[in-house]
Amino acid sequence: MKSRITRSLLMGTVAAAAAIALAGCGSGFGGSTGGSTSGSSKLTSSKDALTVMIGSSGDAETAAVKSAVADWSKSSGIGASVIPASNLSQQLAQGFAARKPADVFYLDSGSLPGYAANGSLLAYGDLLPASEKSDFYPSLVKNFTYNGKFYCAPKDFSTLQLIINTDKWKAAGLTSADYPKTWDDLTTVAKKLTTGGTTGLVVSGQYERLGAFMVQAGSNLTNTDNTKVTANSAANVQALTYAQSLLKAGTMKFAADIGTGWGGEAFGKGLAAMTIEGNWISGAMTADYPNIHYAVVPLPAGPAGQGTLQFTNCWGIAADSPNQAAALKLVEQLTSKDDQMGFAKAFGVMPSIQSAASDWKSTFPQFAPFLDAASYAQGTPTLKGVSQVITDLDGKIAQLKTTDPKTILDSAQTNLQALLNQ
Amino acid sequence: MTTAATRPRPTTGRGGSIRKGEAPAGWLMTAPMLVLLGLFLVIPVLMALWVSFSDWGGRGSPLESGVNFIGFKNYSSVVSGGGLAEQNFGMAIKNNFWYVIFVVPIQTAVALFLAVMVNNRRLKGSGFFRTAFYFPSVTSSVAITVLWLFLFSTSGAINKVLSWFSIHGPDWFNAPAGILHFGAQSGPAVLMNHSFLRVTWWDWLGGPSWAMSAFIIMAVFTTSGTFMLLFLAALQNLSGDLQEAAMVDGASAGERFWKITLPQLRPTLFTVITLGLIGCWQVFDQIAIGTHGGPSGTTLTPAYLSYQTSFGDGNWGQGSAIAFILFVIIILFTLFQRWVLRERPISKSRRLNPMPARKAER
Amino acid sequence: MKPFRWSTGRVAAQSVLYALLIVLALVYIMPFLIQIATSFKTEQDAAVNPISLIPSPFSLAAITKLFANSDFPLWFMNSAIVTVFVTLGRVFFDSMAGYALARLHFRGRNVVFAGLVAVMAVPGVVLLIPKFLVLNQLGIFDSYTGMIVPLLVDAAGVFIMKGFFESIPVAVEEAARIDGAGTFRLFWSVVLPMARPALITIIILSFQGSWNEFSHFLVATQSPNLMTLTTGLNSLANGGLGAGTQYPLKLAAALIMTIPVAVMFFIFQKRIMNQSEGAVKE
Repeated sequence: MKSRITRSLLMGTVAAAAAIALAGCGSGFGGSTGGSTSGSSKLTSSKDALTVMIGSSGDAETAAVKSAVADWSKSSGIGASVIPASNLSQQLAQGFAARKPADVFYLDSGSLPGYAANGSLLAYGDLLPASEKSDFYPSLVKNFTYNGKFYCAPKDFSTLQLIINTDKWKAAGLTSADYPKTWDDLTTVAKKLTTGGTTGLVVSGQYERLGAFMVQAGSNLTNTDNTKVTANSAANVQALTYAQSLLKAGTMKFAADIGTGWGGEAFGKGLAAMTIEGNWISGAMTADYPNIHYAVVPLPAGPAGQGTLQFTNCWGIAADSPNQAAALKLVEQLTSKDDQMGFAKAFGVMPSIQSAASDWKSTFPQFAPFLDAASYAQGTPTLKGVSQVITDLDGKIAQLKTTDPKTILDSAQTNLQALLNQ
Repeated sequence: MTTAATRPRPTTGRGGSIRKGEAPAGWLMTAPMLVLLGLFLVIPVLMALWVSFSDWGGRGSPLESGVNFIGFKNYSSVVSGGGLAEQNFGMAIKNNFWYVIFVVPIQTAVALFLAVMVNNRRLKGSGFFRTAFYFPSVTSSVAITVLWLFLFSTSGAINKVLSWFSIHGPDWFNAPAGILHFGAQSGPAVLMNHSFLRVTWWDWLGGPSWAMSAFIIMAVFTTSGTFMLLFLAALQNLSGDLQEAAMVDGASAGERFWKITLPQLRPTLFTVITLGLIGCWQVFDQIAIGTHGGPSGTTLTPAYLSYQTSFGDGNWGQGSAIAFILFVIIILFTLFQRWVLRERPISKSRRLNPMPARKAER
Repeated sequence: MKPFRWSTGRVAAQSVLYALLIVLALVYIMPFLIQIATSFKTEQDAAVNPISLIPSPFSLAAITKLFANSDFPLWFMNSAIVTVFVTLGRVFFDSMAGYALARLHFRGRNVVFAGLVAVMAVPGVVLLIPKFLVLNQLGIFDSYTGMIVPLLVDAAGVFIMKGFFESIPVAVEEAARIDGAGTFRLFWSVVLPMARPALITIIILSFQGSWNEFSHFLVATQSPNLMTLTTGLNSLANGGLGAGTQYPLKLAAALIMTIPVAVMFFIFQKRIMNQSEGAVKE
């Protein structure tokens, strides 16, 4: 029963603390002792130092987060350390079970439902000052809302667009007027660009890339509210059938099939003239493949218009954190415009707040298409257990060239429906 | 061979007054062992047994009062739930089954072959060869797996060697196709449309994937040396009389091996095979380090699946249920082995040697 | 040995045997040679010439990055700490329990022994979840204690020691007993020194076992400060130090972690090789 009591107390805590936050700009936090929520209607607060666990993409990201957290620590006087996890979900699960989780951590939208359901997370979204809360892109807030509660502040987000090797583009006799606007255009340029050791388009063979075609065809695995499973919709079948046609023509290949780990690696090594990747590719291009010249253009529109996928993480705060008040302060700092722009410069993410959009675009004009996609991009499904289903789906999509798209999508439909019925 | 028989028996029941005070001393000296094994072997098993029957969600302790007993629900969703859990379990069993089918005979045959080869007393450099064959067994599974990922990468060393023979090597760790499908994409409808544990019969019959095959080769590489030592010890303890008699009778080397040596090695052979059967169901490290069950779930094993289901997906009850099903499978093999090897001196001396058991756990 | 003639057939057969053995030995050794070479290659070179044994250009980049820009030294130290404590613990506890089970007569000894045989059958991999649960319950999850204590005794080691003590004559002990030595003094100053050969076996096994241990550390720890070489290399293999394949880096890490075990192996080679009989006979 203890965990249930704690949880219901927490809900009260959230409501009460929200009122305080609105009244006193958050300064009313703190004062309770020993890091326990019982008997207190406030967030936990203590002298304990915070730990921040991140699933880092590399040295640049780790260094940037460390420095931002260190700055906060210096100004707030509360100790804080950053732990780059080697397997974030495993380490989070261990922490929650041990009741000594990291206080603040990266949390992807797919993992949110599981941890929210077992009470591991503090739903602090509504404790954020209204001005900050309304600044987040609404679609991101939706991604982190579970059972009607806004759990955590979006950290940043990424969208997929088409990345083009400009040298190969020119070599094939193409100009910027030829940037593909439709699926047919894409078919044509991919064919032109496929020569010798170069494949026109190389992508990672997974839903997280080909899903963009599904959105362009007017569908996705679920509806945007995650209340209806639409995996085997006619539009999705059409999307995968189109992708399959490129694979069969040999003008598109999956990264793994040419011995590379992801689309960016194939692209950077010059094995691909185009790839579909997110804004994180800029970091890899600068660090690993500085000699490749490239441009980012919007993905072509499909039968239902423009579409792409977006991915996002939030800053989770643990229900078992002994110092939630400080954690919330830290998160507010980390989602501020300054810090988010710092992260953007360090490792290529896009700020989760709308007020930073113009800054970001003027700093990275060449990547503007990524941010422009915010208005039409769709998230990946958020259902408890969805990551397993998507892993399974990814495995099947990797075999798309020789498998019937409908069969692949039917099995995803069954598996997702099972999650929804739980 | 019969070291156990030549060993002096322990002195039981002798001595009178000097044996005073042995009971407290005995308990005291075994106490650390009892406490540690109890705490980290017996209690964990009981605790996981409870979790496998509970709805524990992964926060705090499973012994807290909010956790409920839910009967066989976790087990039923794994073996007959009709969802992804059942499908993954089916894949894990299928993959591990083929792993066993390939690894056990091959490693046994290779180990025996190597042992016979280096057992030649006139062989110069026999020590060198033994070292070479045994060395892979002492290295860590993590190090070997990383090496294997490199050797078997798409444009890696193995495929390079294959290309010398004009063979276009497979895409090892990215290729989920079953090797017994021989490139066919789909099979007869009767196999495609019927399934067991949500895995079609076509897939059940497809053999290990290329990715799993790479791990099969790795298992043979790392364990054949250990089992070679076992065979070697057995060979060196064989009596030479029969061999010489046969030689006088003009039997060829081949005949002598099949008709005389092999039958005498039967107990060792049996030990090696059952140790292999027990060890091969415990594939975990390679998968956790190398493939995480991919591509397309074709390297999932029950051990890794139980870990992934618990730590990765937060389904602790299902994960524990899988672990217990695996536990039963392995215990059955162990009991079978002990039953066959019961009361034989050979079995005793073998069991005293922990090396093979340990390595086989890889 | 019987005399025999070196007929041409014999010579031919011998040559075939040697040729076969050399090829086989190459198959077994080659992966390690490639590993050594690749550790000193550039990433480019490793990708293009995966099989060449000569790095060109010769590069220390991987090794430098490991020692200067990663937690590798920390992992090494953690592995060393754990290995030392586990090995000491096993030598002490295994021999003590083995001695008690072999020599001391006390009520319940057979039950203890039967229990030991039973727990030896428990497969390690099914203990991953349960071990985590217990470590968690005991509050020693994510600590050196949690890493070391569960490994301090191994049933197989107790078995070896029991077998050894049963194989040596009791005369010496009986003499010491008559001189009035207590059980513990007897064990410490008479029995243990005699057990040196078996203890070395235990040392080899526990050194190798705890140095190479992976799954226990995986579930027993979470913080990067407690990473060992095995869990550290696992994080490297899963993209811990940035994107890309980084094979030279990973293989160099794997190479360095193999060195201590290899040294151990070559020092005690004779003993290890004869272990399948030696451990019992000695």
